[in-house]
Amino acid sequence: MLYQVLQALETATGPVSLAELCRQLGIEQGVLEGMIAFWVRKGRLNDSSMCASAKPGCACSSHPDGCIFDRAGPRIITVLPDSHMA
Amino acid sequence: MTTARSILPTAQLRYAAPIERELGCLAEAFAALPLSAYPPRWLAIQLLEGDELLLAETETLAGPQVGEVLQASLERLRPHYGDDLDVALVDQRYRFVHQLTSKALTRPAIPMRTTSDRIDQVVTHRWLGIPIFLTLMWLVFKLTTDVAGPFVDWISAVLNGPISSWTSALLGAVGLGGSWVESLLLHGVIAGVGGVLVFVPVLLSLYFALAVLEDSGYMARAAFVMDRLMHALGLHGKSFLPMIVGFGCSVPAIYATRTLDSRRDRILTGLLVPFMSCSARLPVYMLITAIFFPAQAGLVIFALYLTGIVVAVGIGVLLRKTVFRNQPPAPFVLELPPYRLPTARGVWRQMWERTASFMRKAWTIILITSVAVWLLLALPVGGNQRFAATPVEQSAFAAVAGAAAPLFAPLGFGSWETSGALITGLVAKEVVVGTLVQGAHVEAAVGTTAVPSTSVAADLLGIVGGFGNAIVDSLRALPALIGINLRANEPEAPVAGLAAALQLIFKQSSGGHAVLAALAFLVFVLLYTPCMVAVAAARHEFGQRWMWVSVIGQFVVAWLAGLLVFQGGLLLGLG
Repeated sequence: MLYQVLQALETATGPVSLAELCRQLGIEQGVLEGMIAFWVRKGRLNDSSMCASAKPGCACSSHPDGCIFDRAGPRIITVLPDSHMA
Repeated sequence: MTTARSILPTAQLRYAAPIERELGCLAEAFAALPLSAYPPRWLAIQLLEGDELLLAETETLAGPQVGEVLQASLERLRPHYGDDLDVALVDQRYRFVHQLTSKALTRPAIPMRTTSDRIDQVVTHRWLGIPIFLTLMWLVFKLTTDVAGPFVDWISAVLNGPISSWTSALLGAVGLGGSWVESLLLHGVIAGVGGVLVFVPVLLSLYFALAVLEDSGYMARAAFVMDRLMHALGLHGKSFLPMIVGFGCSVPAIYATRTLDSRRDRILTGLLVPFMSCSARLPVYMLITAIFFPAQAGLVIFALYLTGIVVAVGIGVLLRKTVFRNQPPAPFVLELPPYRLPTARGVWRQMWERTASFMRKAWTIILITSVAVWLLLALPVGGNQRFAATPVEQSAFAAVAGAAAPLFAPLGFGSWETSGALITGLVAKEVVVGTLVQGAHVEAAVGTTAVPSTSVAADLLGIVGGFGNAIVDSLRALPALIGINLRANEPEAPVAGLAAALQLIFKQSSGGHAVLAALAFLVFVLLYTPCMVAVAAARHEFGQRWMWVSVIGQFVVAWLAGLLVFQGGLLLGLG
C-alpha cells in the first residue's frame, strides 16, 4: 500500500488533490496522511506548506511567527529523487 | 459490534514469513534478557524498524547482546528487503488495517459528493477555472481602488491639511518656523512617509481580499487551475505556487522556490517571481492611475497584475525552451482543503499582521529613504542657494537623478523626478510614491500654498466629518463591484496640486503624451527589480551570478516593455 502512494504520484501526469488520491487508492484521508508522513520521514516525499524561512533582515517577514505572506501558498507534496533518501 | 466481535478474535497481524521468523528469534532472545518492561514481540518490531532511542535504552538495561542479536537478524533479512525493512513492516500494518476496515465498513458504491466537491466542479473546471480566477482578481482590484479610494482621499486631506498646519504652527510657536527643521518635517517626513501611509486603506482592502480568498480555501484552487495552464505551456506547474505568494511579497516568494525539487527549477522560478506584482507596488499604481486614469483605475491595475503574470509565463516558456530545456515536469499532490466560511477574527488577524508589517517598513526603510531624499533635495548644487531653500531642480537629488533621466527618455518619462523615484524605488517600491510626492509636491504645494488658518476644534470636526463622508462614499462604491454605478453623475474632483504637478512632469517629459508616458511608467514599475531585500534573497538562494542575471534581466524586460507601450502607443496614435 505504501508503494502504491509513491507509484500514484510518480505516474501522475499533473497535480492531483489529496481527496482525488484517496479516491484512486480507495483509502481514507487520515490513512493517506499517515503514509505521506512516513514517506516524508524516509526522505522520499517532500511535504511543504510553503514555508518562506523568514530572515531577520527581511522587512517583509519580520513577524515573530514567520513570514506573514507565506500562508497564501497551499500545501504541496512532491516525490523527491532517490538521492534525497534518508 | 457484531462484525467486530466476529473478526477481532481471529484478526492477528502477521508479517511475511522471513520477518516472522526473525521476530520469533528476537522475541525469544529478548525474553531471556532483563527486559521485562517491554513485550518481547513489540520490542523486536520496534528495533527492526530502526528505533535507535529504544535500542540505546535496552542496551543500557541488558547490555550489548541486544544489539548483537538485532544485527544478526538484520543481516539475515537484508537479502529479502535491502534497506527497506521498515517499509515492509509499516506497509504490512497498513494492509492489515485496510483489510480489517474493508470488512467492517460499508462504503457507498458512488462516493458522496460534499459541498466542496460540488463547488470544485465549477471552480476548478477545465474551461471555467481560469475565467473565474480572473473575475475574482478583477473584483479584488475593484475593491482596492473604488472602495478604499475615499479613505485614501481622507487620509491625504488630513495629512496635507490639519497635520501639516499643526506642525507648522507648532514649529512657529517654538521659533523654528521657516527653518530647515520645518522643511524636513513637512517636505521630508510628512510628504515622504505620509505620501506612502495614505495608501494604508488600499493595502487593508487588498489584504482583506487575500485573507478571504486564503481562508475560504480558494487560493489552493487558484494554484490548481493555474498549474494546468502552466503545464499546458510546458512549464513546471509548481512554479505558480511561489508566484501566488509573490502577489503579497517577492521576498517570501523567492524563498518559497525551495519547495521545487531541482536547482534549475528553483532558479527558473526565482527569475519569474519578481514579475508578479507585489503589494508594495500597489500604492504606485493607485497614485498614477488616480491621476491619469481616474475612470478606469481598477481596470488598469487589473491589467497590470495580468501583465505581470503574462510576462512571467512568457519569459518562463522562453527560458524553458532555451537555457532550462530538457527538464521533465514532476507531478505533485496539492491539498485542496474543504471550503470554509472565513471568520472575522482570522481575516482581521491577517489584515492587521500584514498592514503592521507595512507600517513598520514605513517607519524604518521608508522614513530613512525619505529623509535621505529630502537631504539631497535640500542640498544646492552650484549657484548661491542656501541649504533647504534651494529650488528642487537645482538640488543634488535633481543632479543625480537627472544623470539617469536620458535612459528613460525613450520611454516617455525621462525627467529627474521620475528617474529619482525609480532609483529610490530600489530600496522599497512604496518609496517611489514618497519620492514622487517629495519631488513634485515640494514645489507644487507645500510651502507655496497657504494653508487656511482654522481652529483646532474646526480641524478636528473636519477630520471626523471627512471620515464620515469617506464611509458613505465607500458604501456607495460597493454596488460598482457588480456594475451599478451610483456615482456616475458626480462631477470629477478638481485636479489637486500633486496631480497637476505630476501631470505636468509627465507631459513635459513625453512631449505632450502624458497618459502614454504614465502607462509606460506603470509597466516599468511593475517589471523592474522589486526591492533590495528581494535582490538579497535572490543572492542568498541562487548565488551572485543568478542575482545579477535577475536584476539585469528585469531591468531589460521592464525597459523594453515600457518602450513598447510608449513608442507603440505613439505609433498607433494613442495618448
